[in-house]
Amino acid sequence: MILNYIGNFALLFCLIISLIILITSISSLNNQNFFFRKNLKELLFFKFFFALLSFCSLVALFINSEFSNETVLNNSHISKPLFYKISGTWGNHEGSLLLWLLILTFFAFFYFLKSKNRPNDERLLTIMFQEVVILGFIFFLLKASNPFNIIYPVPKEGLGLNPILQDPLLAIHPPVLYLGYVTTSIVFSSSLAGLIRGNINSLWAKDLRKWVFISWTFLTLGILLGSIWAYYELGWGGFWFWDPVENISLMPWLSLTALVHCVLVLEKRSIFHSWTVILSIITFTLGICGTFLVRSGILNSVHTFANDPERGLYILFFLFFLIFLSVLIYFIYEDKFELNNKNINFYTKETSIILNNWFVMYFLSVILIGTVYPIFLEVLSNEKISVGPPFFNKLIIPFLIPFLIFMSVGPNLKWIKKNKFSNKFKLIIIFILSISLSILVSKFFGNTTLNITILLAASFYLFITTIKDFLKNGFKNYSQTISHFGFSLLVLSILMNSIFSKEITSNMRVGDEIKFSNKIIKLQKIENTTEVNFLKFIAYFIIEEKNKTKFILRPEIRIYDKPETITSEAAIKTDIFKDRFLVVNLVKENEYLNVRYQEKPFMLWIWISAILISLGGIINIFKKNEKKIL
Amino acid sequence: MKTKFILLIIFSLFLFSKLSFSEDLKLENKINKNLRCLICQGQSIYDSQSDFAESMKIVVKQKINSGMNEEEIYSFFKMQYGEWILYDPQFNTKNFVLWLLPIVVFLAGGIIILSKFGVLKKR
Repeated sequence: MILNYIGNFALLFCLIISLIILITSISSLNNQNFFFRKNLKELLFFKFFFALLSFCSLVALFINSEFSNETVLNNSHISKPLFYKISGTWGNHEGSLLLWLLILTFFAFFYFLKSKNRPNDERLLTIMFQEVVILGFIFFLLKASNPFNIIYPVPKEGLGLNPILQDPLLAIHPPVLYLGYVTTSIVFSSSLAGLIRGNINSLWAKDLRKWVFISWTFLTLGILLGSIWAYYELGWGGFWFWDPVENISLMPWLSLTALVHCVLVLEKRSIFHSWTVILSIITFTLGICGTFLVRSGILNSVHTFANDPERGLYILFFLFFLIFLSVLIYFIYEDKFELNNKNINFYTKETSIILNNWFVMYFLSVILIGTVYPIFLEVLSNEKISVGPPFFNKLIIPFLIPFLIFMSVGPNLKWIKKNKFSNKFKLIIIFILSISLSILVSKFFGNTTLNITILLAASFYLFITTIKDFLKNGFKNYSQTISHFGFSLLVLSILMNSIFSKEITSNMRVGDEIKFSNKIIKLQKIENTTEVNFLKFIAYFIIEEKNKTKFILRPEIRIYDKPETITSEAAIKTDIFKDRFLVVNLVKENEYLNVRYQEKPFMLWIWISAILISLGGIINIFKKNEKKIL
Repeated sequence: MKTKFILLIIFSLFLFSKLSFSEDLKLENKINKNLRCLICQGQSIYDSQSDFAESMKIVVKQKINSGMNEEEIYSFFKMQYGEWILYDPQFNTKNFVLWLLPIVVFLAGGIIILSKFGVLKKR
């Protein structure tokens, strides 16, 4: 009980400190009172401390299962394992927002410590904008979604956590994703501050680049964790559903990807000043927009667990306030941008990065329009339409082909200089090689269309070129090479996966056998056991291959008690080149099981390639700064 | 510049040519993936295990066996449940903005970039 008050008061203290920082930073901007800055560090620390205290008391409430707290009551249960009691803290709306706040305050403090080489007035302005965002979140927490609401009389038992959320991966997925989202707020604040001070230059870009890469890396990892979870828990073997909530996490990732490239050009060549700032604003806005769309319940989606329109309205208001603020600042201080009338030659790295940004922004617009259009249509004309995978495939895949080719050629070009490709000959050879390779693959395995063959050729091209670059340059620019290589591997694995996946669906009883391409699948027995908070049916399947190798797959059906839910747990056997995926489902009032067996090639490589992509980001964060080429 | 325009034309041709990722899959799965499970949250009937999805799958199977082609099956379901059930939005008066707006954005981006290039080159 006491923890409720501690948490609440800690939040209030947070609010007060945040207000103090905001007001004093505004006033010291005018009279240049640098004296104040000595206390700023302490204030930022205490704000973080109180946010941490508040968060820890919520965690403690969850661990103790104190159902006097409304959030605990709605999302926890006494018999739930300790691990999920803790992860349940951020598995719900209120707790996840508190986590947002905690990370926000941490990064505000961390930014202050790490930005000593920036001019003081810019740092102060950044902190000021950061406080505006933090205040918005504290108000939201206190007013619309307080995690410390007290319930009296105290109920004896909680309502439990949605069982599909009781999963180790999903326990760490939100914090990682939030780390990515929240760091974009630093990018946003720093851009606005730099804009006001007229500091947007290559030095600024050098310092910002770290933050952009931190954010991008965490977002990449967060999205990866989410799709691995979706793969084994949600669907019947899919890992990306073009579901609105997934799209929403992909949008800031895409604009960050554009920013990652653009900020490099600003650093090296001191061009694209305004575009960098615009991208920073877009990225952060998309992050908040995501929170709005998810939390308001406007989306009809697998992931919408918290539906509350009132909250949505608040975030919408906050969102418009931030957009208005940043647009206003942009137009007031626009003339402070460094004028540049540098020439850009066509065959340079700069051009290829412009092309990258062009395509990435197109992909972003496809996803944005595809996600938001149905909502607008429903509001305006009361007609409901669905926008699903076919739409995104049709609009994205054709554009992916030139994108991949530019991506392979781009790194082979030089900054500024007009001299064309340094190794034109090799690039052409590789091009011919990849076309023949893809024709070979599609002819050999048949059943592919012309479009897929071309896409395959483009991704082979990127794949081979990045390997060539790595062999040639070694560790010179390997963060970029690794990320690009990872991306080509990702596209290749996804393509191969969708071309070569095989599956069979059937109804089976104990003792039944089915044949499937040189294999015999036999349902041997079904066992049931009782776990702490669920009842478990395990089906034992023996899969016998032609060369007499045998293995057992054990898919499960779980019946959770609180709240009562039935889930299917897939059995997956992962090999280097192939995943075997088996999932069963109860057929109502019948002794039959509905069985789906799939062979999905290159699944492992999809995850590995995403890890490689983010590895490139990690390397870049820790990389020593290179010289600027003017 | 010329090569760029040629590339653009090629992509737009691609858009209107029939482009689909699942042509090698069985027709039934393809149709199942394209139909929304109405009682689920954002899942196709292919991905769902609900009773509704299971019975829908049976209906799809029957329709295929009775000799209906893909388009006929889609329009059958559209008649029954409305356009909401189709994951692939049709190109019609309601949805043309959805299909064309991204392309407009792409072209606009291209024009902006080209104009910047032009301006920069004159100086």
